[in-house]
Amino acid sequence: MLKRAVDWLDVRLGVRELWQENTSGYLVPRNINAWYSLGTVLLALFGLQFLTGILLLIHYVPDTEKAFGSVETIVNAVPYGWLIRNLHAVGSNLIVVVLLLHMLSVLFMGSYKRPRELTWLSGFILFNLGLGLCLTGYLLPWSQLSFWATTVATDAAGAVPVIGPKLVEFLRGAPSVGAPTLGRFFALHVVVLPGALMGLVGFHLFCVRRCGISVPPFGKDAKPARVGTVFDHEKHPGGIPFFPNYTAEEAAMVCFALAVLVAVTFFAPQIFIPLDALEPANPFVTPEHIKPEWYFLWAYQTLKIFPSKLIGLAAQGALMTFLALLPFIDRGEERRPAKRPLFVTCYVLGLLLLIGISIWGRYS
Amino acid sequence: MPQNELPSSQRRTFLTVLLAGLGTVLGAMAAWPLLRYLSPRDRGDADTKVTLARDKVPVGGAEFIDFRGRPAVILQPKPGEFVALTAVCTHLGCIVKWVNEKQEFLCPCHGGRFSTSGQVLGGPPPKPLESFNIKLDGDQLVIG
Amino acid sequence: MMHAKGWLLAGCLLLLLPGPVFSAGEEAPTIPRETVCLQCHGGMEGRLGAPVGLWKQSIHRQNGISCHDCHGGDPTDFAMAMSPERGFRGAPEKAEIPAFCGRCHIGVKDDYLASKHGRALGKGGPQCVTCHGNHAVVKASPDLINDKDCTRCHSFERAARIKAALTDTDRIISGLERDLADLRRLGIAVKKMRGEVFAKRNEFHRLFHTVDVNKVHQGTAAVQKSLGEVATEVAGIRSDLSQRKLWGGIAIVLLLVAGGLCLLLRRTYHDEEGKG
Repeated sequence: MLKRAVDWLDVRLGVRELWQENTSGYLVPRNINAWYSLGTVLLALFGLQFLTGILLLIHYVPDTEKAFGSVETIVNAVPYGWLIRNLHAVGSNLIVVVLLLHMLSVLFMGSYKRPRELTWLSGFILFNLGLGLCLTGYLLPWSQLSFWATTVATDAAGAVPVIGPKLVEFLRGAPSVGAPTLGRFFALHVVVLPGALMGLVGFHLFCVRRCGISVPPFGKDAKPARVGTVFDHEKHPGGIPFFPNYTAEEAAMVCFALAVLVAVTFFAPQIFIPLDALEPANPFVTPEHIKPEWYFLWAYQTLKIFPSKLIGLAAQGALMTFLALLPFIDRGEERRPAKRPLFVTCYVLGLLLLIGISIWGRYS
Repeated sequence: MPQNELPSSQRRTFLTVLLAGLGTVLGAMAAWPLLRYLSPRDRGDADTKVTLARDKVPVGGAEFIDFRGRPAVILQPKPGEFVALTAVCTHLGCIVKWVNEKQEFLCPCHGGRFSTSGQVLGGPPPKPLESFNIKLDGDQLVIG
Repeated sequence: MMHAKGWLLAGCLLLLLPGPVFSAGEEAPTIPRETVCLQCHGGMEGRLGAPVGLWKQSIHRQNGISCHDCHGGDPTDFAMAMSPERGFRGAPEKAEIPAFCGRCHIGVKDDYLASKHGRALGKGGPQCVTCHGNHAVVKASPDLINDKDCTRCHSFERAARIKAALTDTDRIISGLERDLADLRRLGIAVKKMRGEVFAKRNEFHRLFHTVDVNKVHQGTAAVQKSLGEVATEVAGIRSDLSQRKLWGGIAIVLLLVAGGLCLLLRRTYHDEEGKG
């Protein structure tokens, strides 16, 4: 029966050929490593966010009077609502962790280099979309944490010269965070950003598939890639089939990532749900020691280090632009870390600096 | 890997079967919360009685109320005599209308007609309207 | 390949580290804002400055009760802060103290005034601050009934009996308060139960201000019954939570096993890759 259905499709669309081309006929480098599976892990985690997000949407009410109560109902009264909600909250944090690991591994292996500039650029935008989803999703439960984190985050835009104050008001839809902010953040979080994310993920995967997988720059056979002036899909003669050989490894990594997600969700969700998140928003009382989420701590602290907010904001903008355009700036062909001492030094120091600033931000 | 083991293809079949089994268990473990999350919650009102002030229902008039999550209608055909019926037409589930002049129900969807006791007077409805217990307690009507 | 996985795992753990650090911290109390009272008196020496330091360690401060809440006056206006026109009350005379504190602690005041202690007010009997202190008011606990304080006026024997009568219930109350705070930390809605415990706690504290052992014994039973109901509810939630953890643990193990099997599957291909 199934075979006949596939036959029917095959006659019309040539699905068997398509399948063969993208699975066993799609060869990936023989020395491919576990870091290459992080993209798949992210795909799985984002898929789970979509699913839990849709489920939350069934009970969530985007109204400043009812939002907090609706989340409380989901967690306390709806069967397994606590599970869906905590998976969504913990999942978002795990996604940021894996996004960072994915980017760090691509940086370390120099995979962003020509001809994969667009893969990197689209990936970098995806990273920012991910952070945008975190930021907008954060406001929706309308807790003290939501309210004040959003107030502080949108306030930073005030440092932009001339249009700053107008910009803050535009972001919030009102002079201070309120019902209009919730409305626009809700629309962004459930429609605009996920839509953009899906489209861009498609483009990112297209780039990956079209260019071919980069060879890990390790081992004695590794050599700088020769990139010509005409399009050339990087084939790996003598490589291993993507499916089923490498997908088995990807499946393993997805299982391990899900195990981490379930572990935190069941045993320590409070890591990512601080006390202020359990208190309904009160626009007249700022909680003490309010801090941004861990992945925004570096940005928070840079704003405080620089003498003026504008310089801090400019520094952040410069760093992000530099990272986004890295493949256009760093144009050498060498990808082996051992042959790129300057890059590796900057990489390690930059990473330590970001971690250091974040810890500083946490305890300042 | 010692070479005295099974050939890789047999190991693979064995592992795939194990994985399929495990996947089914994990799938079921994920599906159960999902099902419970989406299932309608027990409203806990299966036997609740609904009360209504007696003067809400005039003689010869009708009052529509929510009864255990579904529309119902209360009538007073004769002074002191009360009737409680479901307001859901037995044909295709539209809500029947009370026609005061004729003292009968008319379903606006396909013209089904019901008497004050819920009997079918005409049109396509296959069954009479279900009636509920109703009694007077002081100036309150208790339905259910 | 295994090497890479090890690093990957280490990386995950490293990145997760800032998380717990970040979210640490106890429930933030509502701290009263800086008032003109605190600004002036905070800088003063001796009798006029001391209350500020004492108050800072008090339960009143933790609950957001500041100078003007008891002493009146205008905490926003330097010039008029201590003007009777703005309701400034100053410090009460000894005999006035129960009325002064009793504006908020109404129930306790009633039972106190009716008690042997209260009837001796103005005749050398104790009033609120005799036991509770004034500015450094601490959270009421059975420790306030002790040999040293009670024997200032009478023998400890009778007080000891009251203390014994309330110790158990007090332990139940503070235990429940802790349990509820723990549950709240996990996002469980405990507001209603907290309200019940708080009400019972007040009722109970009020009760032993009668300093009448018989009355304490009679009241205790009713209070303990209500507390028992809350405790049952808490136990129910607790057992739900451990049930969840059990299933979570099973899911984790299954996922890890599935991951392991996938790796073994990968190895079967790997072995063939070597030959091919």
